[in-house]
Amino acid sequence: MSLLQQLETTVQQATRRRRWQRAWGGFWGGLLIGAGIWLLALGLYKSLPLPLTVLTVGGALGSAAGPAGFIIGAWRRRESPLQTARWLDWHQGLQQRLATALEVGRDSRFGRWAELLVGDAARHLEPLDLRRVLPYHLPRASRWALLVLLLGAGLGFVPEYRSAAYLQKQREKENVRQTGRQLADVTRRNLERRAPALESTRKAAESVTTLADQLAKKPVTRNEALRELAQLTDKVQQEARDLAKNPALRSMERAARAAGRETPANPNDLQKQIESLEKTMGNKDLTADALEKLAQELAKAQQAAQDLLKQGAPGTEALKDSLARALSSLAQQAQGLGAALPSLEEAAAALRAGQVDQVLKDLQVAGKDLEKLKELAQALQQLQQQAEKLGKDLAEQLKNGQAEAARDTLQKMVNQLKAGNLSREQRDGLMKQVSQAIPPAAPYGKVPEFLKQAMQKMQGGDNPGAGQALADAAGELEKLMQQLADAQDLKSTLDALQRAQSAIGSGKSWSQVAGPPGFKPGGKPGRGVGTWADEEGWVDQPENTGLWDNSGIERPDLASRGLTDRGEGGPPEGMVPTKVKGRFQPGGQMPSIPLKGLSIKGNSTVAVREAIQAAQTEAQAALSHDQVPRAYQGAVKDYFGDLK
Amino acid sequence: MSTDEQIAQFRETYAALRAEIGKIIVGHEPIVESTLIALMSGGHVLLEGVPGLGKTLLVRTLGQVLDLSFSRIQFTPDLMPADILGTNLVMERPDGRRVFEFQTGPIFAHLILADEINRATPKTQSALLEAMQEHSVTAGGELRRLAEPFFVLATQNPIDQEGTYPLPEAQLDRFFFKLLVGYPTASELTEVLNRTTENTQVAVNRVVSRDTLIALQQLIRQVPVASHVKDYAVRLVLATHPKTETGRPIATQFLRYGSSPRGAQALVLGAKVRALILGRFNVSFDDIRAVALPAMRHRLILNFEAEAEGMTADHIIGKVLQEVPEDAAAVAA
Repeated sequence: MSLLQQLETTVQQATRRRRWQRAWGGFWGGLLIGAGIWLLALGLYKSLPLPLTVLTVGGALGSAAGPAGFIIGAWRRRESPLQTARWLDWHQGLQQRLATALEVGRDSRFGRWAELLVGDAARHLEPLDLRRVLPYHLPRASRWALLVLLLGAGLGFVPEYRSAAYLQKQREKENVRQTGRQLADVTRRNLERRAPALESTRKAAESVTTLADQLAKKPVTRNEALRELAQLTDKVQQEARDLAKNPALRSMERAARAAGRETPANPNDLQKQIESLEKTMGNKDLTADALEKLAQELAKAQQAAQDLLKQGAPGTEALKDSLARALSSLAQQAQGLGAALPSLEEAAAALRAGQVDQVLKDLQVAGKDLEKLKELAQALQQLQQQAEKLGKDLAEQLKNGQAEAARDTLQKMVNQLKAGNLSREQRDGLMKQVSQAIPPAAPYGKVPEFLKQAMQKMQGGDNPGAGQALADAAGELEKLMQQLADAQDLKSTLDALQRAQSAIGSGKSWSQVAGPPGFKPGGKPGRGVGTWADEEGWVDQPENTGLWDNSGIERPDLASRGLTDRGEGGPPEGMVPTKVKGRFQPGGQMPSIPLKGLSIKGNSTVAVREAIQAAQTEAQAALSHDQVPRAYQGAVKDYFGDLK
Repeated sequence: MSTDEQIAQFRETYAALRAEIGKIIVGHEPIVESTLIALMSGGHVLLEGVPGLGKTLLVRTLGQVLDLSFSRIQFTPDLMPADILGTNLVMERPDGRRVFEFQTGPIFAHLILADEINRATPKTQSALLEAMQEHSVTAGGELRRLAEPFFVLATQNPIDQEGTYPLPEAQLDRFFFKLLVGYPTASELTEVLNRTTENTQVAVNRVVSRDTLIALQQLIRQVPVASHVKDYAVRLVLATHPKTETGRPIATQFLRYGSSPRGAQALVLGAKVRALILGRFNVSFDDIRAVALPAMRHRLILNFEAEAEGMTADHIIGKVLQEVPEDAAAVAA
């Protein structure tokens, strides 16, 4: 390798090394600038009410974009070997020997001069150690970058400054968002449960969903939200009023209300249920009272069996006889009632065999069977009572507003007329029923007209025509039922809108604002777990106007404790409580408080996941609105966080 | 002779010249070195200083050590151009015919000492213009070449002295270097006293022939200069141009005119000689910087503001040297 090639190799190595060094320096420089941007963003975020995106963008620029950009920038900056040679000349004080040698080394015009130059440069470059000249070490920027990062980390612990007005505004926005979400959920559930029959109802429901989604996704200020909700409420209210103008609906609704809410709609279904229960019980004459008496007797027999088991040998025979008689009597009574209790027979057999333990077990089984029979008898009794409330014929059904039952009755009539094998008596019966139904059908739109047509056609012997008229009447009733359902949907939509307005207006969460009466069973809808429902009045007191009468309000949290008429001294010895109920220590364990509410039995109508999700949402809302005492916040967060 | 031998000869010659001159001249190393640099480059030198500092002695000594013809012209206010260049005289030939014949003046020598050049009138000073630049003289309508090598070594008193005429700009620009001769130090003055007040006879030898000098001048021009070093010389000269994009603010403030291209030539040629003297085969930034003052100080024309503030060309050049980066690319990288 010639001297010139050696020089070129050395310079190329230096060029590569300088490139890496620039990239390394670029990384730290970028980190410094990025950290500076991050610190600035953090400072701005901490001192000004800026959105979190400022901090996110600042952090992203600081952590990744800055160093990466500078590394790439520095790496992409290429340097020619001649430039490196000039740098080496400058850095090592080579008096431009190296750059001149590289420049003229391959130029034939310089002849011997070029050789002399290359030789001179090689001599001066010989002791050069590139690792020493271009070392990889932490640049000065690294110290500053680390310092800025430390400052940023320290600043992270400084709480953000937000004015009271801003916080209030944020709370309102969050409330608007949550309320919008709840309103959208409620409206959507209504739509999923039943699609509106009328176009106007569907549009109203959709406009509510759209507004609720808008509020949830892009929350506006409290006043704007209230204005928009009020506008929509007016619109929906107008729709409801328009619908309510129909006199048929009014009468149907009034009649249905007068007849009672729990009246079953379909007499056929009711009859089927009754028959099914009677079949299960075996004897339709079984009454709950008779079974109750039988249960009392059975309890006595159980007591006697237990006594027999406890007493042992003396007097055993007498007790055995007594128990055998009681069992025999019970079996006879059960047989007399028609209740199948085979366990009683088995108990008697076990007694005869001297197996008192088995007697007890058989009696327990018999008790359970009896309990089931009792429940069935009660259910049958209820169904029978409901069946009695149903209208007996078309006229009564129409009078009671039992539109569904009336429709089914009409359908039966249509079927009879279509069958064509009606006897004179049957036709007269039908005509009588229809004619009696005309006056009570007056409020049901075109129904009386159709009934009159049917009458006329039956009188003229036109059974198919009469059937068609009755079918039209049934169709009219069906239409009216749909409209009534739409009106009810509109009512629930209006309730939801008013609830949303109330929530946003009062700054409370959706669950804190009372819905319409009977919105949920239990009287305390959606209050979740614990005693928050009871504490609501304590946490969120309305503004004291000076005219507020709180004489009737009990405030156990403010009740004086430890202050007695005996002075400021402590309680006498022996009276110091080990556990003070109701006194909360911040950070301490949450005291147990018994749950209140009604015990509800039956099948759940809501999936447990949805219920958990709703409870978690409400708990989060309560936490974010500072409606949970500080001492409880951790416990509430843990409890609802662990729900799965 | 090979390049290596020529280079060796250059160094020997330079060393011999320094040694011989050193026998007569005490101190003034920078002046002697610069004078020799100009000599090797083939340029003229203007030596300025108050009387009695050895300017004339230096030039006379140089005349003694060089194997060249030497003329001394003492410039006075009544000196006429013809007194320098020569004139046509009526001469009688042996056949009795009278003809005009050109009688050469003292300019027709290799080494000219123009002593106290600023005491002559500008008209007489201008007589040197053609000779200094083109190495020729035009008289009586006839062009006459001067013998090579041709050097003018002029001395002058500071221009603010009585009875002096400042040299015109065109004349100044023709000088390769302008050297300012300062006062000797105490030790140098003592040595001067020793040599001049005692019966000490010093003989100097002629060490350089005419041909050798011409060969060395040609050798100097072969020294390679890297492009970025040339670029530095160019940037330095451009930085002295007032009211231009390349000019430095100080040039705009204090200069009427900046350096001419002859200044850049002087920078590079002088730097080449210095590089060889220092044993290098390439020109460095230091070489350029070292010759910047003598090469450019007489080429900068100060304006009224500079005169009023007592600003000198040396100060402006110093500032320009500070402000113009030697190798901007390398330093930035």
